[in-house]
Amino acid sequence: MEELMKIEGLKMYFGGLKAIDGFDLTVNKGETLGIIGPNGAGKTTLFNAICGVYKPTGGKVTLEGKDITGTPAYKMAKMGFARTFQISKPLRGLTIFDNVLAAAGVHEYTGIGSYFHKSHTDDIEDKVEEIILETGLAEVANKKASDVSLGYLRRLEIARALVTDPKLILLDEPCAGLSNFAINEITELILHLKEQKRSIVLIEHNLPLTMKVCDRITVLSYGKKICEGTPEYVKNDKQVIEAYLGEEDND
Amino acid sequence: MANAYLFSIMATVAIFTLLALSLNIITGYAGQAMMGIAAFFGIGAYTAAILTTNGTPFLLALLAAMVVTGVFGALLGVISLRLQEDFLAITTIGINFVMAAVFNTLKITGGTLGLTTKKPEIFGVRMNNFHFFILTVIIVVIVCLLINKMRKSWFGMALASIENDPAAARSFGINVSKYQILAFIIGTALSGLAGGIYSHRMGFISATDFAFTVSIQVVSMCVIGGLGTIRGPIFGAILITSLPEILRFADNYRALVYSLLLVIMVRFMPGGLLGDDSPIWKLIVKGYRKFVPRKKTRADLIAEEAVSAGAAPGTQSVKQEGGLA
Repeated sequence: MEELMKIEGLKMYFGGLKAIDGFDLTVNKGETLGIIGPNGAGKTTLFNAICGVYKPTGGKVTLEGKDITGTPAYKMAKMGFARTFQISKPLRGLTIFDNVLAAAGVHEYTGIGSYFHKSHTDDIEDKVEEIILETGLAEVANKKASDVSLGYLRRLEIARALVTDPKLILLDEPCAGLSNFAINEITELILHLKEQKRSIVLIEHNLPLTMKVCDRITVLSYGKKICEGTPEYVKNDKQVIEAYLGEEDND
Repeated sequence: MANAYLFSIMATVAIFTLLALSLNIITGYAGQAMMGIAAFFGIGAYTAAILTTNGTPFLLALLAAMVVTGVFGALLGVISLRLQEDFLAITTIGINFVMAAVFNTLKITGGTLGLTTKKPEIFGVRMNNFHFFILTVIIVVIVCLLINKMRKSWFGMALASIENDPAAARSFGINVSKYQILAFIIGTALSGLAGGIYSHRMGFISATDFAFTVSIQVVSMCVIGGLGTIRGPIFGAILITSLPEILRFADNYRALVYSLLLVIMVRFMPGGLLGDDSPIWKLIVKGYRKFVPRKKTRADLIAEEAVSAGAAPGTQSVKQEGGLA
């Protein structure tokens, strides 16, 4: 399997707090990798340290062999990192269509030069339409993002990631706050992306979902990796069970 | 003579329209709280006044005023990267007070005595209020066309994204810092241009012309008219500038009237009288649509097709979500 992204000894400290403390991870092309862990394990911090929101305290991140540690978030997007947010961040004043279109311009935001390029061209609109149909946002395409329900906003996050033609998609709890029905819909969508052989890293609290869609799972606890392997292997690991349920009482 | 009086008001309205449009780029489109636009208005005014007094042609002086003000705007843009919302607002208020004090102190700006400007000549004609009005209206029209083009470009899309959510904007490739600084440069440069025209139209300027109250007045124009639209600031500028003429009897309480208006607007109609969500504007659009049907966007077509293909609007998943509660 071909290696896409590699993280070596990543450290992210906030003062004395070691949120991520020496984390290693390899993501291969075309695989779906899950990152799970109890609350406060450092999952979102890990995403933020990879995606350039935070500058890592130490360690190295490489994309296809190229060192990209600490690159700012907007450059990471241009390099092919597409991330979604745990708390949806729609552009509330814009329609769903324009939300996706804004992300489709990922390579157009060059500064003053971007003034001279029209945003709503036929080519871009075709591409946006394709993604909107693929992610099931068609019926709300002309609604303002402030007027649609959370289920759509979750799909919008994914649509915005897809439209940038990413090499790697980082999904941060795409099912947070959704009903069972909506969770099934998102699961279908992720399975659909998997069929397209896209490379995905998924952070999720919902274990059944993670077990279902992921090829490999990494378990994070207090900023450290405690287990990695197939869903089946992880499910039966003693340390993982302890991290989630606490230690067994020996008395 | 009645005409001269009318043109004098109209010239003032036009200048403040330009100023309101300049603030609208920073606060309306890029979403940066800016409460000190009068400081930059002043920098432009003094720059142009000093230059023409030393023999620079008027139009060249205006251009220089834009450049000088834009440079100061870039500095503020860099500062703005470290400050957000309320903190940026307070900082810009501070900058306004500092600049007013500087204008009042420096020898080159005439200190407390202020500066007197000569009425400039364009194409051999000495400019009167009518000429200032025409010149400013031409500039306002050009600025409106340029803003309109901006809104249809990736530049406009970048500003809209930043205004809505900077973190999201970064996640799809927008260099937020760069665009924020650019918005400050463009906005302040335009306010400098307005200042240059203002100082020559008035014939005399002093630090009080660029006090904090003027900034509040311009903020009121944008907020009352509707931030983030072209029509809003224009309407606001016309309203607020002609208001003192109508409310002459309340002259001493002007600041009070503005503050009250501002509070009422922000509380009850934050989008402004002519903002996209304002009932007044919706009524106007509705009336207009009776004669000119709206051109359907791609988004409308997609949505219509999806709805007619089965899923009723407010689809399954929404109903299911509702079922949770």
